[in-house]
Amino acid sequence: MVNRKVRNLLIFAAVLLALGVGSTRRASAEVAVEWDNATCLECHSDPGFSMELPSGEDLDLTIDEERWNRSIHAEWDMKCVFCHTEITAIPHDPPSFYDSREYAIQKSEACIVCHREQEVIEDSVHAQAREEGNDQAAVCSDCHDAHYTTDPPISHTAIPETCRSCHAEIYDRYAESVHGSALTEGNPDVPTCTDCHGVHEIAGPSRGTFHLFSPEICASCHADEELMGEYGIKTDVFSTYVADFHGRTITLFQEITPDQATNAPVCISCHGVHDIRSADEAGSTVAKENLLTTCQHCHPNADTAFPEAWMSHYSASADEWPIVYYVRLFYRIVIPVVIGGMLIYVAIDVTGRRRRRKGVQSD
Amino acid sequence: MTDDSAQRRYPRFSLSDRLEHWVQVVVFTGLAITGLVQTWSESWFPKVIITGLGGINSTRFIHRSLAVAALIATAYHLGTAGYRFFVKRTGHHMLPGLNDVRAAMRSVSFNLNLRPDAPHQGKFTFAEKAEYWSIIWGTVLMAVTGLMMWNPIATTGILPGELIPAAKAAHGGEAILAVLAILVWHMYFVYVQPFNRSMFNGYLSEEEMYEDHRLELESISAGEGTITIPPETLRRRRRIFFPVYGAIVILGAAFVLLFLAYQEIAITTVTPPPSGVEVYTPYAPATVPPSADAAPPTVAP
Repeated sequence: MVNRKVRNLLIFAAVLLALGVGSTRRASAEVAVEWDNATCLECHSDPGFSMELPSGEDLDLTIDEERWNRSIHAEWDMKCVFCHTEITAIPHDPPSFYDSREYAIQKSEACIVCHREQEVIEDSVHAQAREEGNDQAAVCSDCHDAHYTTDPPISHTAIPETCRSCHAEIYDRYAESVHGSALTEGNPDVPTCTDCHGVHEIAGPSRGTFHLFSPEICASCHADEELMGEYGIKTDVFSTYVADFHGRTITLFQEITPDQATNAPVCISCHGVHDIRSADEAGSTVAKENLLTTCQHCHPNADTAFPEAWMSHYSASADEWPIVYYVRLFYRIVIPVVIGGMLIYVAIDVTGRRRRRKGVQSD
Repeated sequence: MTDDSAQRRYPRFSLSDRLEHWVQVVVFTGLAITGLVQTWSESWFPKVIITGLGGINSTRFIHRSLAVAALIATAYHLGTAGYRFFVKRTGHHMLPGLNDVRAAMRSVSFNLNLRPDAPHQGKFTFAEKAEYWSIIWGTVLMAVTGLMMWNPIATTGILPGELIPAAKAAHGGEAILAVLAILVWHMYFVYVQPFNRSMFNGYLSEEEMYEDHRLELESISAGEGTITIPPETLRRRRRIFFPVYGAIVILGAAFVLLFLAYQEIAITTVTPPPSGVEVYTPYAPATVPPSADAAPPTVAP
């Protein structure tokens, strides 16, 4: 009995080692016969099975077998002990950790054994916060249920709800935004948290590079004619931004000096971040009556005439920003006429001189 | 014409005139390069130059520094031109007139073989006057539109906001016009049409004078070249000119400085103002307790 247990343990250790090297994502079903999930569920399927942690927290130890069976990990024939490697005998000692948070952080190591690509890279704002000692920074099981994760792990519409558990205030702003409210109405085209922030590699929006490259995030949808066409939204918002002083500055910083910081505004500087509203909406930061206040964030001395200096994503035409249009038209006519006139004069002068020189020579 | 007279040289530009010209050349070229690369910053070659200049911020800094140099050079020219015009009373040579229109038309018909002789012109030909006054006009326009863009806050305190992008359009259009005009007109007349050395050595030959400035040559030959002003008259004119010129320069400089510095153009803090939202705010529904279904058991309350 003991020998078999030791043998199975050795096999299991070998499997773990193999998984650790990353040679395979799935374990074969034959190993660890005695460590079948049924063994665990003998106790852990009991409703109300729980324990008190040293912190005084009550930890629910019940596994809903039906839900587990629907999970992606059950589909892959995963065994409880693949992750709960600390269980080496039955009955087993309660694992030693102070509170559920400590356990969650500890257990994320188990996910990484298989999910190497999703291993939170060093650049991730959550990994960094945790390194700086913030225990609340998200680990795997904060977003993906430890036992009942399905495939796909989180549906598009459920993403904001997931982030909400830690970022409730931001969620509330998002939910009222043009994007968030459309998502609530079931529109799959609108961006959720991860569309802008990324998933596992979330970089943190307070970094300079996020600010600098954020217009590309907005442009990925707002410059897409097919997508925007459905909603009657102009797609030249990006090109008109780049044509102006602010956008020109940002693109040149992106291309030439991405390491240098710039405070030139990007889309979200004027339109808002999570609380972006349709520009036609009265409450929008870029609505005509609010535009001056928005400009004053960076131009505190700006007065009422100032916002008109920004062409509001219009290209000048006879109707919109007509002075700009006519100045451009003036130079489009004057430059060729003046320079053309000069060239004609020069050409006449050259031929005249050449003829006279020939005349002198033939004389 | 004898060989002797062909070698006789006529002074055209003093050393200070020539220095002023070459300073203008450096400033104009620098402004044109640092400005046009901003106009066409989406193309690869301007990007190479902007990179070489250390990025867009330093390119703009150089452009504005050169703009200040151009303003100083303009103030200096206002002084020398004003002195010529009001004190020495010789500035009328540069004034345009109907004669210049006539000279231009005659020059064309002469070159088309419709007239037997070239127009006789004075100290400055119609082509030179056209260029001079174009540069004056261009400088005024570039200075005004440039300053408007430099401090749009101050500008829109007085003028409608739409004039800022209009100023940008005019500044860019005028720049292209000016650069092309210099390349076509100036380069042709001083380098291609018999090479004019007067901006290098300060002199024209008798042949060049005869060809292009026959009226001036005739007046010099007739002894009208130099006007002597009685010292008393000169002193009196100077007493009026210098204070007036000084006042104009000081007022102009004060206006520009005040215009640029009186109001903050934009904040200089590197990161834009924060949105004011708290990042970590755990979701805590007031009534419904988090069920095992809704949230994983490990989420901190």
